[in-house]
Amino acid sequence: MLQKKICMLGGFSVGKTSLVRRFVQSIFSETYLTTVGVKIDKKSVALPGKTVDLILWDLAGEDDIGSFRVSHVRGATGLVLVVDGTRAATLAAALTLRERVEAEFGAMPFVLLFNKSDLADRWEISDSEIDNLRQLGWQIYLTSALSGEHVDDAFRQLASMVTK
Amino acid sequence: MTSTVDPISLPQRAASNDTEIDRAALARLLVEIARNVDPDHHARFDGVPTADRRMETLRQLLVGREISELSRVTHLLGEPEQLATAVGGVLPSAAARASHAQLGEALAPAVERAVQRSIQKSPRTLTDILYPVFLPAIRKSIGEKIDQTFQSLNETLRHIFTWHGLKWRFESWRTGASFSEVVLKHSLVYRVEHVFLISRNSGLLIAHVTADNATSEDPQLISSMLSAIQDFVKDSFNEKEQSSLDTIRFGDLRLWSEVGQFATLVSVIRGNPPEELHEIVRDVLLRIHEESSEALGEFDGDGSQLAGVEAQLQTCVELKQEESNQGFPWLVVAVAVLFLSLAGGWFFLSWQSGQRWQAYVSRLGTQPGIIVSEQKIRYGQFYIAGLRDPLAADPQSLLSGTQVDPARVHSQWQFYQSLEPEFVLKRLTASLAPPDSVRLSIVNDRIVAEGEAPATWIKRAQAAAQQLSAGGPVFDISRVRDVSPEEREAERWQAYVSRLGAQPGIIVAEQKIRDGQFYIAGLRDPLGADPQSLLSGTQIDPARVHSQWQFYQSLEPAFVLKRLMASLYPPDTVRLSIVNDRIVAEGEAPDTWIDRARAAARQLSAGGPEFDISKVRDVSPEARAAEHWQYYVSRLEAQSGIIVAQQTARGGHFYISGLRDPLAADPQALLSGTEVDPARVHAQWQFYQSLEPEFVLKRLTASLTPPKSVLLSIVQGRIVVVGEAPVGWINRARAAAEQLSADGVVLDVSQLRELNLAELNHLREAIQATDIFFYSGKAVPGPEQTPVLDRLADQLKEFAQSARKSGVTARFMLTGHSDGTGRETANVSISAARAEAVRALLNRRGVAPELLLVRGAGTFEPVVPENSQTGSSTNRRVSVTVNLD
Repeated sequence: MLQKKICMLGGFSVGKTSLVRRFVQSIFSETYLTTVGVKIDKKSVALPGKTVDLILWDLAGEDDIGSFRVSHVRGATGLVLVVDGTRAATLAAALTLRERVEAEFGAMPFVLLFNKSDLADRWEISDSEIDNLRQLGWQIYLTSALSGEHVDDAFRQLASMVTK
Repeated sequence: MTSTVDPISLPQRAASNDTEIDRAALARLLVEIARNVDPDHHARFDGVPTADRRMETLRQLLVGREISELSRVTHLLGEPEQLATAVGGVLPSAAARASHAQLGEALAPAVERAVQRSIQKSPRTLTDILYPVFLPAIRKSIGEKIDQTFQSLNETLRHIFTWHGLKWRFESWRTGASFSEVVLKHSLVYRVEHVFLISRNSGLLIAHVTADNATSEDPQLISSMLSAIQDFVKDSFNEKEQSSLDTIRFGDLRLWSEVGQFATLVSVIRGNPPEELHEIVRDVLLRIHEESSEALGEFDGDGSQLAGVEAQLQTCVELKQEESNQGFPWLVVAVAVLFLSLAGGWFFLSWQSGQRWQAYVSRLGTQPGIIVSEQKIRYGQFYIAGLRDPLAADPQSLLSGTQVDPARVHSQWQFYQSLEPEFVLKRLTASLAPPDSVRLSIVNDRIVAEGEAPATWIKRAQAAAQQLSAGGPVFDISRVRDVSPEEREAERWQAYVSRLGAQPGIIVAEQKIRDGQFYIAGLRDPLGADPQSLLSGTQIDPARVHSQWQFYQSLEPAFVLKRLMASLYPPDTVRLSIVNDRIVAEGEAPDTWIDRARAAARQLSAGGPEFDISKVRDVSPEARAAEHWQYYVSRLEAQSGIIVAQQTARGGHFYISGLRDPLAADPQALLSGTEVDPARVHAQWQFYQSLEPEFVLKRLTASLTPPKSVLLSIVQGRIVVVGEAPVGWINRARAAAEQLSADGVVLDVSQLRELNLAELNHLREAIQATDIFFYSGKAVPGPEQTPVLDRLADQLKEFAQSARKSGVTARFMLTGHSDGTGRETANVSISAARAEAVRALLNRRGVAPELLLVRGAGTFEPVVPENSQTGSSTNRRVSVTVNLD
């Protein structure tokens, strides 16, 4: 049994919760997010020769970065940064969150998801911007919680990254 | 081109100069190099000087830098301070790179010694360092201990008076364990269902063990969520301390969390676990940490290194305490028997109360004016409903005496008016208010009114009877006579008048009734009954009676007698009475009264009854007075100590003379009660001493004043003295006896004995032996005499009291004395002064002054001859003598 703690970070209403809703194993209701501030889900990813259980800590998305509870990230081996592609500001929020986590716990592997890719007409992030980020060696996926596009790929990528 | 160069033969020995360089070898090497460079060079090695300066230069060129570096290092190693600085610079990184195990082993002894030294030097330092570490642990441990104690106490208290409690007490007695232990053993039933070992760092599940039959959701998610909740609590309440959420309780389920260095052990327990379980769980966690410390520290989600942990956790899930159900189920049997007997009892009681209830209901049914429409028993409660007449008996009050619990009776009564004759009768009585002269009764279910009533009432009764005829009983008023008040009053008046007519001394001449007023006229004797007062009790209003009475004198003997009594005023010696319609006077009366009586008798003879005074004897006052006087004189003559010499009665005055003893009765006082007028008595009495023994006795008692112990009495005309007396009194009594014998009166003192004063004599001697001494020329005794005076005062008081008891009076003579020096007059006065001083001192000590007599004897009564110094000081004294009266 191999398991890894993964934290999902992202600004308010970027779709973290809906992103995982269809693709993960969950026993806790979403009210945990508003009460405890965190919701735990599990995503099993089969890699060649082994299966990794990703224990996903879905941290309550907040625009106020100051109230973000860094302590929840302790012991995490990877991050899922989620950005709402229809709101450019959420990219900055996600990056700031990552910086805060790295400042506290050091660098750790992550995947960056631009969510709501189904809403092309309201898309605010330019391809060049995404390409720039890809140039940094970041793993970036355009996902849609609606269609499930690239979600599994992203988790599979992260699983392989954290088990290296 | 190649050339062969002669090899430079190596010297056989090392160079002997100060440098350690093998110069010969170097020289050969240089020749070789030169030969290689120029094959024609045939320089011989032999010619190379060993101390060539150029060699040194060459050496400098080749290895000069190394030499200086080497010397620096040598210097560094040679100087301890420099070496320490250098090592200090690299030590931290060296330690970091060293193998942990080896470094640990190498350092352990040194660290141990260092700690030891530190503690020896000052334990405080280490205490301060460890304080933050130990305090939470100690606090937690104490907290758990207290919880444990409370749990024990709680459970003990909860079960102390229960059936279990008794059973467990027996078990405690049988096994020797304390009661609280037994209680905990039985009451704390629990089972550890799950155990999670969770990485403290990441919240990832390290291991999870489940008890049989226990289920849960995904343990991985649970363990992460538990960590999240831990964080949540810690963050929410800003809890900085290194403690953690100990217990989560949800109904029957408890989550206990034990935090270790790397991992947290969460046990899920169903039931009521004992607090000791904390320790067991903690032990398991510690053991896991000991065994797999490294693997735990490095845990990154791969649990394969920690396979052995599960075995440890297994020991936790096997923990449980279950209620044992073994053995004969006598408890169950006992409970069943108890239940059956209770149920039986309940059934009996409810049957009994049902019976009582039925008795009550049937009793209600027989009550007139109560109609029971519905009644039932449900769950031990009684319900009853129906109709009742307000005038009927109160159902509630009927409950008393039925043994039905009133609290369980729920009744609903509607009021109605019963048409049963007795209720109709009650209502008629209340509404019609019949006069006293009418009586209502029930005859064969009909209500019958009888008597007399005014017309108005009869009319109302008729109306009521008509109403009733609608369905109620018959109301028969035919037997009520119509009587108006006027008629009633006339009847009463007639009764009064006929009563008056029967009275003696009253003659009714005329009477009538007009307009509700009564008029009456006639004659009455003033001595007869008062017609007005006869009205009372007749129910006739006196204000409506108008009477006119003429007074007259009745000639009936009774009235005549009354009038005679009032007019003649007969003396007490005359009695008047009626004998056969004649008035008869009997007894004695003065002639004046008899004359008046005769005149009255003559007046009466005109038509009244006869007044017979023939039986009255004529008694004049003179004769009566003479009789009284003779009675008085004879009374005087009978008195002892009074001798009547002469007496006469002349002209209504009485004269008497004679002798009387002053101790005899007073003749004047004897007059009272004799009806002799004292103003008309003229007496002349000479005093004399009667020699009659009783008078002599009185005189002796007055003059001799005998003590209480002596009794004087008269025996056959002789005066006899009996008892005990002091000698002095006996002598005086004998002298009186001699005097009296000359007058022929016998005073017998032969039975008189001398008073036995043996006890007093002893005290008397002690008192008389006491002397108070004085210094020369002093009238007041010295302070050393104080105890003597104290003792003397006590003795005198005791003696006086004892003497008083014996009926004699003791007196004490204080005689002052002086020595022979000085003039005699001065000695006499100082002796008297000494006696006075002692009297005052004794008086101050409570001796009554009237008992103390004083005299000064001067030098006349010396106790020793006055010829020595001792004699003088002994003679300056106050002596005491006792006298008894």
